[in-house]
Amino acid sequence: MSVERRGDPRATIDPDVSDVRAAQRDLAAFGALYRRYLDRVYGYCFYLLGDHHDAEDATERTFLAALGAIGRYRDEGASFRSWLFRIAHNQIANALRARGRHRATPLDGVSVPALGGDPAGLVGQAEESRRLRRALDTLADDRRQVIILRFVDGLSAREIGVVLGRSPGAVRVLQHRALRDLAALLA
Amino acid sequence: MTTPPTLAERLDRAVDELLGGAAPGVAAATAGLAHADRSLIDAAVSVRASLASSPVAPRFEARLGSRLSGMGASPWILRHPGRLIVTGAVGSAVGVGVTAYAVWRSARRSSGPAHRLLHR
Repeated sequence: MSVERRGDPRATIDPDVSDVRAAQRDLAAFGALYRRYLDRVYGYCFYLLGDHHDAEDATERTFLAALGAIGRYRDEGASFRSWLFRIAHNQIANALRARGRHRATPLDGVSVPALGGDPAGLVGQAEESRRLRRALDTLADDRRQVIILRFVDGLSAREIGVVLGRSPGAVRVLQHRALRDLAALLA
Repeated sequence: MTTPPTLAERLDRAVDELLGGAAPGVAAATAGLAHADRSLIDAAVSVRASLASSPVAPRFEARLGSRLSGMGASPWILRHPGRLIVTGAVGSAVGVGVTAYAVWRSARRSSGPAHRLLHR
């Protein structure tokens, strides 16, 4: 979790700052950041590209670019993870552009392994999950991105703003509209 | 004079609470959401429950870790080296088994006609 800076409840201290500084001094320390963010970056790529192979490709490009540019990263109000997801966002945009269309498969067709539990509960959970992903698939791109960055990757409105090039207020409005649309679709 | 938070801001606060592990009712109350806005929290709960993070394939993790190591990142970059060792060991065992079976089949085929000739 981020720690709030004194006097400004919206600004936060970057929890990755010591690891980033270590990686800037010695690239060997980048491993800690890689281990911390691999799943989350992959999840972001996977949910937006809808294909494991494309998600791996975008994830790989993201980490290679991040390692190559870590020396130039400066904490100027944007956390490391918002910087990293901004790179991922650009890689996804490149992949979609290269593909010439949006997601290869709708999220409805994406299978995510279920966690343990009783079989009846898992079936219900899987059906609920399918319904949600179908609904998510009908959202506008920017609203879907906000939902994925917020709920899958755990970014704050401020960090999502950095990733998408929007103000935190605009991100909160997008989140509100996305949840309102989903509530209507799921009702 | 401070302006009261908008619905989008209160909802964002409630989502923060939810993601931090608060129960939906607690998250809504803490953020000052009205009962009429409860459907928004319910939608957020559904999203949170349905969008699990997708696991990364160990082979991909190892391949990317190896590429990053080649660029100077730590060689101890793998999160689950044991998993990779097990995957490698199983893969090798399967490979050895398949090769042994192929050799055995091939030997049997080549010795087959001679064997039959002996019994004519």
